[in-house]
Amino acid sequence: MFMRHLATSLVALAIASPAMADFWSDAAAPYQGVTIRGVSESTPPSNYVRDVLAPQFTEATGIQVEFETTSWDQMYDKAIKDMEAGSGIYDFVYIEQDAIYSYLSRDFLVDMTQMMADNPALVNPAFDWANFTTFIDYFKDPNKNDHVFGVPMEAFIKVYLYRKDLFENPEIQASFQEKYGYDLAPATTFQQWRDIAEFFTAYGQETGQELYGTTVQAASGHPASFYEFWESVAPLYGVYDWGINQETWTASVANGGRMNSPEAVEALTFWLGLLQYAPPEATASTWDEVASSFAAGRAAQGLVYGENATWIATNAEKSSVVGNVGVALPPTAEGVMEAAQSGEGYIGYYDGGAFGIPHSSANKEAALLFMQYIAQPELQAGWAEAGGRIVLNSTYEDPKVQEIDAKTDSYFTLMKDSGALFAGAPPYPFHNQVREVSAPFIYEAIIGNLTPQEALDQMAAATEAELKNLGYTAN
Amino acid sequence: MRSSTTGWLLLAPTIAVLVLTGVLPFLYVLAISFFDWNLFAVNPEPRWAAANNFRRLVHDAEFLKSIWLTLLFTLWVVASQVILGFALARLMMRDFPFKKVFRAVHTLPLMIAPIAVGATWRLMTVPGLGPIPYYLKDWFGIDYRLSMFPDQAFASVVVMDIWHWTPFVTLTILAGLSNLPQEPVEQARIDGAQEWQIFRDIVLPAMKPVLLTTIFIRIMDALRVVDEVWMLTQGGPGAETRFIGLHIWKIVFPKTDYGYGSAMSLLTLYMTIVICWLLYAAMTARKDRAS
Repeated sequence: MFMRHLATSLVALAIASPAMADFWSDAAAPYQGVTIRGVSESTPPSNYVRDVLAPQFTEATGIQVEFETTSWDQMYDKAIKDMEAGSGIYDFVYIEQDAIYSYLSRDFLVDMTQMMADNPALVNPAFDWANFTTFIDYFKDPNKNDHVFGVPMEAFIKVYLYRKDLFENPEIQASFQEKYGYDLAPATTFQQWRDIAEFFTAYGQETGQELYGTTVQAASGHPASFYEFWESVAPLYGVYDWGINQETWTASVANGGRMNSPEAVEALTFWLGLLQYAPPEATASTWDEVASSFAAGRAAQGLVYGENATWIATNAEKSSVVGNVGVALPPTAEGVMEAAQSGEGYIGYYDGGAFGIPHSSANKEAALLFMQYIAQPELQAGWAEAGGRIVLNSTYEDPKVQEIDAKTDSYFTLMKDSGALFAGAPPYPFHNQVREVSAPFIYEAIIGNLTPQEALDQMAAATEAELKNLGYTAN
Repeated sequence: MRSSTTGWLLLAPTIAVLVLTGVLPFLYVLAISFFDWNLFAVNPEPRWAAANNFRRLVHDAEFLKSIWLTLLFTLWVVASQVILGFALARLMMRDFPFKKVFRAVHTLPLMIAPIAVGATWRLMTVPGLGPIPYYLKDWFGIDYRLSMFPDQAFASVVVMDIWHWTPFVTLTILAGLSNLPQEPVEQARIDGAQEWQIFRDIVLPAMKPVLLTTIFIRIMDALRVVDEVWMLTQGGPGAETRFIGLHIWKIVFPKTDYGYGSAMSLLTLYMTIVICWLLYAAMTARKDRAS
């Protein structure tokens, strides 16, 4: 009897094992020859999907993937137009964390939790929502029982990078000590940040090097400068959520907001003051150029998106500062770190995005398989190395990731341990609309046409006018 | 009757395409311009706004500034291109060493897509990477930063556009010059006319139709410039190179303010038609008076 049961079990196992191992080809069998199309920003994580993961998926499933990586603004433009028109060009789109609220408000996206519940044959048995980091919470809709509307594909924090080779050079240390009266170390106060910036700019001039004190993401015609200020610098001064009061939908101090508060003015004054110590390309720099400047060895410190931190620290083909990159938390004003630790504030931007399926897609099932495929734990380490991103808890334990972590001055450890101190963009469905009316005042401040106070006063007024136009406050 | 029917039948495909791609979109934009419509408003449905969008335009400082910048840009580039193009076309009417090489090289920018032109100029002008800021600093001590100094940015987009489109003007005028009858010119020479007099009284009047067409095309192109400026300056620094095309794009796409953006588009179209009509009237007025 026992032998018969054993034999039956062995036969069942023999039949079941290949099926499990070959889930992808089995699940994808009805979609052989189908082509799914996606769009994303051209970033290291997305380029890795295009170059590595998509071809692997095609090999495993027979489903073709056409993945378009384009500029940040074109990515939005294309995705929104497609979803609004319902044209069905894209089967999956990149959803930046700050865009999810707009997309949910327009009901652009498929409820993935529901779709997986309705299609068990399409669910990879190994897929586990619980393995995702808390970053996935941004892609849940609290109005729909916390159902998930996007599978996270990248998440990283914007960290303070510094040049270890410079900071640990005994001669430089002595010179700095002599000039400022304290030891050279990663900045923990704004005054230190400024001192270090001033010191290394002078050092670059004295030694004939193209070296400047700090990066500043201050493109004078691109929203990147708006983002650096409101999502990375203002929070360090305790001004959160762009200074907009989410109860009254107002921005000015007079009406209960903090957009033109003394803290915001101080933050903008400090940030603009750094420009004199930044590389000349700073006023033309978005996140990409900031990373390139740092990788080229043109800056001693600065705030850099984590998606770039790993390649800057490890890829000798693209970076001239490999092995010399230090990572730290940015300086904060008094009380801000405590507020972040208690969950009442944050110290910078937790950036990232997910892939979601538009309702207009004609190949939702194939797209769902693709998203589960790229979310497999065993594929994450290479992706983390290429793009400095981690979306699964298990990825932190991967030996390869730990190896990279050691080469990046523990960037991943910092992200794991201190990620909770950072936050994504505020949940504004009007994100792009308010950004478009506000950002020009940052641009004008950068080129000196407005003082920080004037820029923020006018920005607050324009923001309130736009919120009124959009119907958030009474006319 | 029969030939008329056949004619309409032959024209029908073209008319259908024109209606589908020109008339219907125009009517759609016209209709939207009378609505408040933002996808991400509390109420994302179009709401009747009568002429409010057009009224807003008159008081919109950003829009008026972009109109002013666009007109200034158009004036600079079209005038420069016509003068340069005429001079180069006259030069190419003569023989000189390496003329064919010069003509080929001179025509190259015309073959490059505007977006690629913008990207190329951006690479040449980015501080820390581009050769232009490097040599301007090294040779003349000039701090050249498009992203910081509005005058430099404006001048740079003007120069870029001149570089890109002067070959078009040259080739058009060259075609016109090549087809001019030579007899009046030769007769004038025999009568002892100076070269300048020949140019002013014979060549220029004879070239008027070609010039008019070229100027119209260039004005319309300059008024709607977007892609190469977007690549080079993104409308900055601040809004100092945010020409009307870029401004409309920002209103309609990132800001998704469809009604207001449509009103802007219509006003820009109207402005283009008026400018071209005024120019046409001015350039043909003298002839009418003479006749």
